[in-house]
Amino acid sequence: MTTRRKGARLSPETLGFTFDGRSYSAQVGDTAASALLAAGVRAMGRSVKYRRLRGVMTAGPEEPNALLTVGAKPANVPNVPATQLKLRDGLVLESQNRWPTLRFDLTALLKLGSAYFGAGFYYKTFIWPKWRFWEGLIRRLAGLGAAPGRSDLPAPSYEHTHCDVLVAGAGAAGLAAALAAARTGASVVLAEREPSVGGELEFETARVEGRSAGEWTCAALGELTRLGARVLTDTTLVAGSTGEMVLHTEPAGMPGSARLMKVRPQALVLATGAVERFMAFVDNDRPGVFLLGAAERYLARYGVAVGQRIVLFANHDRVYAAAARLAAGGLQIVAIVDTRVSGAVDAQSREIAADFAARGTLCLAGHAVFAALGGDAVTGALIGPTDGSAAAQTVRCDAIAVSGGWGPAIHAAVQEGGLKRYDETVSAFVAHDASQWRITAGSANGAMQLGVVLKQGVEAGVAAAKHAGHRGPLAAVPAASGDPAPHLEAYWRAPADERQEKNQFVDPQNDVTVADLRATLAEGFIDIEHVKRYTALGFGTDQAKLGGQLGAAIVAELRGETVPAVGTSRLRPPFHPVTLRSIAGHRFGAYLRPARVTPLHDWHVANGAVMEAMGLWMRPRFYLANGGNPTDAGIVEAGRVRTKGGIVDGSTLGKIEVAGPDAAAFLDAMYLSKASTIKVGRSKYMVNLREDGIVLDDGIVLRMAEDRFLATVSTGHADHMLSHFEHYRETEWSAARITLTDVTDAWAVIVVAGPESRAVLTSVLGSPWHDALAGLRHMDVTAGQHEGHDVTVLRASFSGELAFELHCRPVLAVGLWEALVGAGLAPYGLEALDILRLEKGYLVSSEMDGQTTPIDLGMGSLVALGNPCVGRALLDRPAFHESHRGRLVGVRSTDGKSPFLGGAQLTQDAVSAVPVGYITSSAYSPALGEWIGLALVARAVPEGNMLYVRDPLRGGDTTVKVVSPVHYDPKSERMKS
Amino acid sequence: MKGPMPHYSALALLRARFQGAGFWKPLWTGRTLQDAYDVVVVGAGGHGLATAYHLARDYGLKVAVLERRLVGYGNVGRNTTIVRSNYLLPENHYFYEDSLRRWEKLSSVLNYNVMYSPRGVVDLCLNDGDMIAAARRGNAMRLAGIDSELMELEALERFAPELATRGNRRFPIVGALVQRRGGTVRHDAVAWGYARAATAFGADIIENCDVQGLRTEAGVVIGVETTRGFVKANRVLFATAGHTGMVGTMIGLPLPIETHLLQAMVTEPIKPLINSVLIYGHPGHGETYILQSDRGGIVMGGHLDGFPSYTREGQWHRLEDVVQGAVDMLPQIGGLRILRQWAGTNDMTMDGSPIMDRIKYDNVFLNAGWCYGGFKTIPASGAACAQLVATGTAPDIARGFRLSRFATGHMLDERGDGPFPVRL
Amino acid sequence: MSRLICPFCGPRELREFEFHKTLPNAGHTPFEQVYLRVDSLTLSVEHWQHIAGCRAWLHIERNPSTGEVLVCRLARSEGVS
Repeated sequence: MTTRRKGARLSPETLGFTFDGRSYSAQVGDTAASALLAAGVRAMGRSVKYRRLRGVMTAGPEEPNALLTVGAKPANVPNVPATQLKLRDGLVLESQNRWPTLRFDLTALLKLGSAYFGAGFYYKTFIWPKWRFWEGLIRRLAGLGAAPGRSDLPAPSYEHTHCDVLVAGAGAAGLAAALAAARTGASVVLAEREPSVGGELEFETARVEGRSAGEWTCAALGELTRLGARVLTDTTLVAGSTGEMVLHTEPAGMPGSARLMKVRPQALVLATGAVERFMAFVDNDRPGVFLLGAAERYLARYGVAVGQRIVLFANHDRVYAAAARLAAGGLQIVAIVDTRVSGAVDAQSREIAADFAARGTLCLAGHAVFAALGGDAVTGALIGPTDGSAAAQTVRCDAIAVSGGWGPAIHAAVQEGGLKRYDETVSAFVAHDASQWRITAGSANGAMQLGVVLKQGVEAGVAAAKHAGHRGPLAAVPAASGDPAPHLEAYWRAPADERQEKNQFVDPQNDVTVADLRATLAEGFIDIEHVKRYTALGFGTDQAKLGGQLGAAIVAELRGETVPAVGTSRLRPPFHPVTLRSIAGHRFGAYLRPARVTPLHDWHVANGAVMEAMGLWMRPRFYLANGGNPTDAGIVEAGRVRTKGGIVDGSTLGKIEVAGPDAAAFLDAMYLSKASTIKVGRSKYMVNLREDGIVLDDGIVLRMAEDRFLATVSTGHADHMLSHFEHYRETEWSAARITLTDVTDAWAVIVVAGPESRAVLTSVLGSPWHDALAGLRHMDVTAGQHEGHDVTVLRASFSGELAFELHCRPVLAVGLWEALVGAGLAPYGLEALDILRLEKGYLVSSEMDGQTTPIDLGMGSLVALGNPCVGRALLDRPAFHESHRGRLVGVRSTDGKSPFLGGAQLTQDAVSAVPVGYITSSAYSPALGEWIGLALVARAVPEGNMLYVRDPLRGGDTTVKVVSPVHYDPKSERMKS
Repeated sequence: MKGPMPHYSALALLRARFQGAGFWKPLWTGRTLQDAYDVVVVGAGGHGLATAYHLARDYGLKVAVLERRLVGYGNVGRNTTIVRSNYLLPENHYFYEDSLRRWEKLSSVLNYNVMYSPRGVVDLCLNDGDMIAAARRGNAMRLAGIDSELMELEALERFAPELATRGNRRFPIVGALVQRRGGTVRHDAVAWGYARAATAFGADIIENCDVQGLRTEAGVVIGVETTRGFVKANRVLFATAGHTGMVGTMIGLPLPIETHLLQAMVTEPIKPLINSVLIYGHPGHGETYILQSDRGGIVMGGHLDGFPSYTREGQWHRLEDVVQGAVDMLPQIGGLRILRQWAGTNDMTMDGSPIMDRIKYDNVFLNAGWCYGGFKTIPASGAACAQLVATGTAPDIARGFRLSRFATGHMLDERGDGPFPVRL
Repeated sequence: MSRLICPFCGPRELREFEFHKTLPNAGHTPFEQVYLRVDSLTLSVEHWQHIAGCRAWLHIERNPSTGEVLVCRLARSEGVS
């Protein structure tokens, strides 16, 4: 247990939490990592493949090892980085990848096999007896934390906003950029991943504009606020491309109350900083090995010493200043191991080193840590000269802090074709971006000295504001002093023999070692993209932030090539992991998609309708008063239409008004038969073709006036049909005088069907309509008024009965509907509608499935008319005229009673594997007292033939006879009566 | 298997342990490009490699596979790893079933574990109309001897208990068409396994070699022009997937193909939750297919991005559609994070079915137009296409994939979408 | 590419628009018009509709390798599709 020092982020209040069943206390402001470290807990998890004990290594989202499960099943949240998780009182935390406990882990027996589990191991074995035999076990061993059983996340909020300049990252560069942009008058949004702004300034000893870095940060924040800039903390830039960026705010450091924001900036400044890099040495994954920056953060923010006796290992000058700060915090610096030869070390650093050496610290230039020693935690370090000139020595320590330089966070900058280039001075890839609207600044751009960082920030802010149309005086660059260049020299791994390379970890989360990289190259996986895929390097939750560049550099070494020649594998969005829930927002469950409802919807629901989704529409399927299930109720409702009458809500019917002097000619081109021959006040059933000759839709076209038509289209096709018409109007017909108006929602439609329909409709509409309705012939249209609103009545039938389509303004719908009900006509739903149309052999979408031609559907005579409409030319292709193509027929069971179902296949004998057709839809017909169906059957099969119904999925094989598709009232005497 | 490649087995792993470095050999690299070949295959994706393997193994031909970039860098390594044969049209389901039967044996045939996992493919149905369409397809499959089950809600809940089938759903789930033998295959392993096996039978796989044109002599193709010079070839096969439209332009043959982007994404890994492949289409541009990889990540995808693109950068709004469907099916995964999103370039034909045919010249062939369904057919495609190239005649199960079908009207329009690759 | 500039509505999010088809310049028979495409890495000529906006049909020319929009104008100005 280490002693807690004063930490900047902590308040004196305490809270309690448990980890693996033990209770711990923490201070408000602690992360799980800082609190556990403060409590002396080193081991926080095990690795996936080799089950090696692991501790926390970083202080940021790149943490590869210390991933915890928060909360108990079923509402457990897996894989939360301990470094990000802000503790609340009572949190229950568990380590992952161990069974039964972290310390006593039986699965750690897997370690015994580690000699065999190298890269590509899975591809070479488990072939016998078959993969499926092993897969269950392997899946259970893989996979980090347990699957959540339930999600209790609060609803995320969603926000859309605009600004002139979006700045990602509020470290020195980001603050400077935001300030410079805001001073020109540009509106600025500044997003910072951490809970507070400042970034590295928090630990900076250098002075800015004569003030401490902390004071400058406060002043900058204050001025930004006064200038109206919006500063968002706990907020990451997760995705986006030119013009639209996505920000994600997640204050708890774990899935929880979150906000997704879409920002449409005119210009973007990426000041996302750099991620400290790791170096490879033997057992560099042992609990007690940290990144140097993490050791500093834990001390400065949380007052936690990551160890009592610490070895620092780095390849740059920054380590000396860090050593001084850590020592000032009370840590004993056992050794400073610098990979550079002493000549490369800056004079100021040498002075610090001399001070440390005087106090007993081992200061070694040209040396590296070869190995971390110890068991479950670091107890020492093996340190030797990088050139092998002398023997390695062992020092006792309880922590090793490593810094291999910094990798600029260029993830967002290399999207959308952004390029990267290798910058030798920082031994890292930086964005090389010619984009006008996106500017990278600060350490994200390879700048490592505060003065340069601030300058780049200011310049980026001014340039971004200018791009957004705001010109201002070139802002002064804040002067910064006391921050020397790091003089970094690339160093990636300590010397090791090949056997030891098995323990030089490159990507700790996926247990990728130097040995894996060597083996992978030996098998011919040379390109870094192949290496990535073969080893899973960089596939972890840290998105390759920790080990990606290290792995690529070691591949370069093993290939004998330069780091830029090898490159790095392609970075993929999102730039930062983002939860599914935040992306989905409220769009799931009941709110997955909006519902379209008719003016009669509330009436249906209030009167016992069981509603069904049809596309986005909601329609009554049946009414509970007529039966407890759709089949029973449908039979009752359909039967009543034939004996007496009924009403159905047809408002979802698509309605497109086509008007103008060229409307008739236009519709002639859109439909298989001609609209121009329809007389005013008449209507016609018509069919559209797709460009390839396949039936697209059918409907009735009404001619309301010489130059005005109402084209009705199927509910499910309405949106597409409107676009289809508009496309032709805007292209081939662009010179014509036509308007197209979607009037679907302007008219409610009540279908009044049945022998009593005329009488009831007349009584409801009243005497002004008496003569018009009395004289209305089949397919006649009449328009008038009711209660001061427009009403159109079309006499047409999809039920085979005398029937009228009453098109009324929505305001009239409920009143008319209730009046019709009051006059004795009961409502019916889709189930009955389907029975009625099936009895008459009318088409629905199961017949118009995008695969049938008008000839298939019995409309060959219309094709023969030769109207040169859209799709007509391609109907002449030979395949459409072959005898095995289907034609629409009716089917009835040969025994007059056996049921059969839509989707059953039809064959010519009981065993054939080759269907000659299939049943498109079926129902029990109350009018005929038996099951009837429609089918598409090869033209070669004549009417009267018997076919075998083959329905192995549902059982119920039977035989049917091919009959006319019109099962009921074949001469249509009833509807024409 | 002949050649120097060590046989893969648990025993070999043991031997490698003691023999140390040098035991394992490069799978395909290190071959040099020769001057002349019986067949030049353009494109080292799944189809090109599988075809090369069969040409070399079954017909003893001298084959080169010329690849512009890397083995398996295109769609074979970018798809969502799903294999199935649950197709409606006989021209499709017999072919895809041939492929599924080859998947069942492929790991032993190639001596490379491609991790065929017959965990079941579940097509969710949202209403009676869906159930009827599913029954039509499933019954057609069953008559053809292909496994298929239509599950009502209760059976589906037993099969995939993780699904949110109850509660306040915008679109109720009423059942599903299930193919138990369908499942997943480790995608990269397919490319690597075929590349290794083809190499063992003498094929030369040459990466970073871009084919830039055909050389003809008296109207006959005699070889290909490449960035590494001219290569003589008696026959040329293009298996170029997302760049097939470019091949058409290069040889002056307009093709019924548009090139579209399809994206996929994966979350952080978790312990097993989803034990089958769930496919969910719903009104309002919704489509999500989802599965859990053996590594534990939740992998998902959906519709095409919606317009021609070679950028390999998916649109965020399409990702939203996919994720909405995923959270709707499985609200419990809402707290998981997307780690990576990627995209592949798809050669979309005007009926959604592939083209495997001779094109323009007697000795030039095309195996392409697999749309977004190409991965699952790789084993069958390799065998059938090798027969076409070697003998000049495709096997019966691939006869439907002729290029001329669009002109004659014999389209294989499985979904009835017509000549519009992105009809939503 | 996350926006298109509609001639009527100005810059709008891509999701408001729906791609319809690429325009063939492969020939003018109905078969060629409906089925055949000429592919290019640098130029894609397309019809789109501003479906969730003003519903204008647009003639768009883009570079499909970069997403850069080269031309975006009303389709009706060209007469034929």
